[in-house]
Amino acid sequence: MIPLSWYLMLAAALFAIGLFGVLARRNAVAVLLGIELMLNAVNINLLAFWHRSQQLSAEPHVTGLVFAAIVFAVAAAETAVALALIISVYRRRDTVVVDELDLLRG
Amino acid sequence: MNLSNNPLLWVTFLPLAGALLVALLPDARRSWIRWTAMAAALATFAASLWLLAGFDPSSGQMQMVIQVPWLRVAGISIDFALGVDGITLLMVLLTAFLVPLAMLSAWSGVRERVKGFMILFLLLETGLIGVFLALDLVLFYIFWEFTLVPMYFLIGLWGYSRRIYAALKFFIFTMFGSLLMLLAIIFMGLQAGTFNYTDLLAQRELFAGAQLWLFFAFALAFAIKVPMFPLHTWLPDAHVEAPTAGSVILAGIMLKMGAYGFLRYNLPLFPEATLRAAPWLAGLAVVGILYGAATAFAQKDAKRLVAYSSVSHLGFVMLGIFALTQQSVAGGVLQMVNHGLSTGALFLVVGMLYERRHTRDMAAYGGIWKVVPVLGALMLAVVLSSAALPGTNGFVGEFTILLGSFGAPALGTPWFAGLATVGVILAAVYLLHLYERLFLGPLTHEENRQMPDLNLREVLILVPILVMVFWIGLYPQPFLDLINPSVETLLQSVLPAAVAMH
Amino acid sequence: MGNGDISPLTAVLPELGLLALAAIILVLDLFWDRKARANLGWVTAGGLLLVAVLSVFMAQPPETPTLIWGGMLRLDGASFVFRMIFLAGAAITALMVSENQRLSAQGEFYALMLVSTLGMSLMASAADLVMLYLAIETTSIPLYILSGFLLRDQKSVEAGLKYLLYGAMTSAVMLYGFSLLYGFTGTTQIYDIAAGFSGQNGLPAVYPAAVIGAMLLVLVGFGFKVSAAPFHFWAPDVYEGAPTAVAGFLSTASKAAGFVVLMRVLSAAFSDQALVWSGVVAALSIGSMVVGNFLALAQKNIKRLLAYSSIAQAGYMLIGVAAAGAGGESLPYTATTYYLLAYLATNLAAFGVVAAVSRLTGSEQIADYRGLNQRAPGLSLALAVAVLSLGGIPPFAGFFGKVVVFASGIQAGLTWLVIIGILNAVVGLYYYLTVLRVVYQRAEEVEGETPLAIPAAWKTAAVLSAAGIVAIGVLFLPWYNLSMQAASSLLTFR
Repeated sequence: MIPLSWYLMLAAALFAIGLFGVLARRNAVAVLLGIELMLNAVNINLLAFWHRSQQLSAEPHVTGLVFAAIVFAVAAAETAVALALIISVYRRRDTVVVDELDLLRG
Repeated sequence: MNLSNNPLLWVTFLPLAGALLVALLPDARRSWIRWTAMAAALATFAASLWLLAGFDPSSGQMQMVIQVPWLRVAGISIDFALGVDGITLLMVLLTAFLVPLAMLSAWSGVRERVKGFMILFLLLETGLIGVFLALDLVLFYIFWEFTLVPMYFLIGLWGYSRRIYAALKFFIFTMFGSLLMLLAIIFMGLQAGTFNYTDLLAQRELFAGAQLWLFFAFALAFAIKVPMFPLHTWLPDAHVEAPTAGSVILAGIMLKMGAYGFLRYNLPLFPEATLRAAPWLAGLAVVGILYGAATAFAQKDAKRLVAYSSVSHLGFVMLGIFALTQQSVAGGVLQMVNHGLSTGALFLVVGMLYERRHTRDMAAYGGIWKVVPVLGALMLAVVLSSAALPGTNGFVGEFTILLGSFGAPALGTPWFAGLATVGVILAAVYLLHLYERLFLGPLTHEENRQMPDLNLREVLILVPILVMVFWIGLYPQPFLDLINPSVETLLQSVLPAAVAMH
Repeated sequence: MGNGDISPLTAVLPELGLLALAAIILVLDLFWDRKARANLGWVTAGGLLLVAVLSVFMAQPPETPTLIWGGMLRLDGASFVFRMIFLAGAAITALMVSENQRLSAQGEFYALMLVSTLGMSLMASAADLVMLYLAIETTSIPLYILSGFLLRDQKSVEAGLKYLLYGAMTSAVMLYGFSLLYGFTGTTQIYDIAAGFSGQNGLPAVYPAAVIGAMLLVLVGFGFKVSAAPFHFWAPDVYEGAPTAVAGFLSTASKAAGFVVLMRVLSAAFSDQALVWSGVVAALSIGSMVVGNFLALAQKNIKRLLAYSSIAQAGYMLIGVAAAGAGGESLPYTATTYYLLAYLATNLAAFGVVAAVSRLTGSEQIADYRGLNQRAPGLSLALAVAVLSLGGIPPFAGFFGKVVVFASGIQAGLTWLVIIGILNAVVGLYYYLTVLRVVYQRAEEVEGETPLAIPAAWKTAAVLSAAGIVAIGVLFLPWYNLSMQAASSLLTFR
């Protein structure tokens, strides 16, 4: 039996790695990957918490599972839009490095 | 209460109605626009006379009060409340009197966008009259801020070369002061559960603990408007760049908003703070008198000179107000009217000269007395009234103020009045200096030989003002009769606090 | 107020209406030819008006706040008022978009906007973290696409991508906070969370520090939606690059949606941490006002200027939220809601004029607004009204908004915060007046140019929003009462 705290630590570590990736990487695809890591950390959290509350409470419930499923679905939609925009940028500008996207500044 | 019979409503909203009417006229019909606007301004003046006729001068209380619930915020009612006492009445009369004259002065000078000019001018008049009549602090604040917008545009669109800088400076300066006043108003309203002036006055003990701060917040807004030294720096710029009609209203009326605010709000609402601050503010007033006079003397630009003379003259008003004796305050109120007339007239005359030669540099004139004798004669009368020559209005006002403040217990020493007396002499010096540089001596510039004298319209602008100048100068009693009961009521609510403090 | 019991279907009438309208637009887009499709904007605006009218008559909230759909949504005054705000914002935006050749003939544009509005409606009524997350993403994803809608314009695509990356990151942080809240309390029901912290849901009580940590994570996501500093970095770039109408929509409806969620979640779930979040929100407020106002001073592009101004405006609204935490009863949320109403009309007017001018003259530089008054007096007047309202000058709506927000701050004892707000308002006035000054500057070179021809839809949008600015200000009471209805329902927990 793996205690809850291990899951949480794993999730926190994943989240931190993801956040670091988002803040430190300049490549748009890498930033997107970082965001995915963060969302996965959330999912681990949700499932671990769901598992615990299942053990503690008498009546079964599915909130955590549903939440995780929705996070999956939304993340997929978000990634689809992101990739479409990234491809559009890449076609015209030949780069996906965020720092080089500098048409907008003031 | 039948509101349509109340002259207060008419006098406040006739200009607004006029502005809406003007807005409906086609742009190209300039003379229609001018005459409609003038008709609205004259109707407002008529309404103000109606107000005077219905006013009972023996009472110092608020009269013809209108009070209609308007908004409700957090359970506190904000009323549409207007009322008039002797001090207010004089200010309203002054406004309604000067606006048509200022409008007439812009008759031929403003050729572009006449419609916009007239609309803004009428909106400004509604705002100004509203400021004087409002008896609810939020309503007062709304009118107070509202006056800024038309004046900003009048300076910024019809002004001279540096108009944009001047308009912006004017707006930002005054806004800065008034926002702190808004803070104080909200604070008082929340403490007392009302924004109504009369109710707040009755419950002033509720916020007595914070009254030094509140006094400061109000005083800052008003002192910037007056303007008191050292907050006056926006004034010369705004005056110099404003079109003549704008300068007349700015000097004649808008500056009085500050002095009026001190009288109406600072004194009665925060009596103890008033007494504590009185020597300091009177001191600043005296510094303003001397500084304004000295700086005026050094100017080369005639309009700038007049602008600095305003700083000096308003110093007398402030000294009168903060000497806190019946005589000095009454003199201060009278001097507010006098300054509106005399300085308004000075700006008009300088504007007339500018229309002829397109320069305000005094060196470009000189010796034009023989070329334009009518202008010269009228200007001499105006200058002498501004310099407080006996027999003119300025003398009555300044003399009453000085007399009232010599022995003022609130100031504790006659030094304030003594130093201010020097200011009277300095005023004579710089004003006569102005007159001499413009009109006397040999005619130094050939091009001035062709200068046309005043036309009928211009004479018509100046004559009513001069009539008032000499009326107040020779027979001020009717005016003092209007002022005295109200001042007495006002001081009665301030001075008991004085007794309590000492 | 409306009837006591309300069927689950009429309760979500606005949402159903939006969905049906989106479907209709897509179908019309298929069958209409290019010329007829130019009218899609009118169809959208008309449809939204119809939905709003139907909702007013049939979907009034019940007297007492009611949970429906298994506790996913909550029907109350706030959800109703804010849904109407979104409908109005979307309708004006639709009018602004029509006649714009690059956008108007594309049904997808309107459909996406409607779906986003649907998401906002759900945000306003969401009472469950799962629903809330879904609603936020339903709002955001279409907005990412709308921002990058002009595929031929690299600025637009860049704006879309930047918006998406910022949005996805902050929403992931917020979601992490959500997951912790779920873990701590065993529930995702927003109105049960507060009880869960103290161990009433069968789980052990939670360390206060952990609760505050989760709260801060959640605030990151909300801060992004309301574009409060330091989560504002996206705003200037996105406003500049996105189609102007979309920027207007982002700055009004989307911000309002963020605010209703912020107010609801903070008050309901973190009622025991009120003083903490009050302080955090006050800090966000100061940051937003200072960053927004001072960076706006240097802007040359009008859309960037409005972006920074919208950050600053969020700061003023946050004063109300901070006051609610400091114990101001119902006045603070009333003030913030009223301010949002005023701001909706004001900023839509401003962006409407900017959209019109940039389509007609091809420029977004403030300098090119010189002499606009001579070429388009009506638009100039609308812009002047909007700018004066933003600056808080009576008798426009923005002035009353500032008065009530400042009043709420003073009432809650946050006078220092109000003073900072007032100083910022003066700075703000400077750049607002700069815009005004340029518009009314006499420009000799434009004398010869023809007056700009303004299409009817844009006129309607400008007139409606400018009239709104005056009406919300001068006829203060009905709007204030509406805001109060929303505010008091946010503070009724059961």
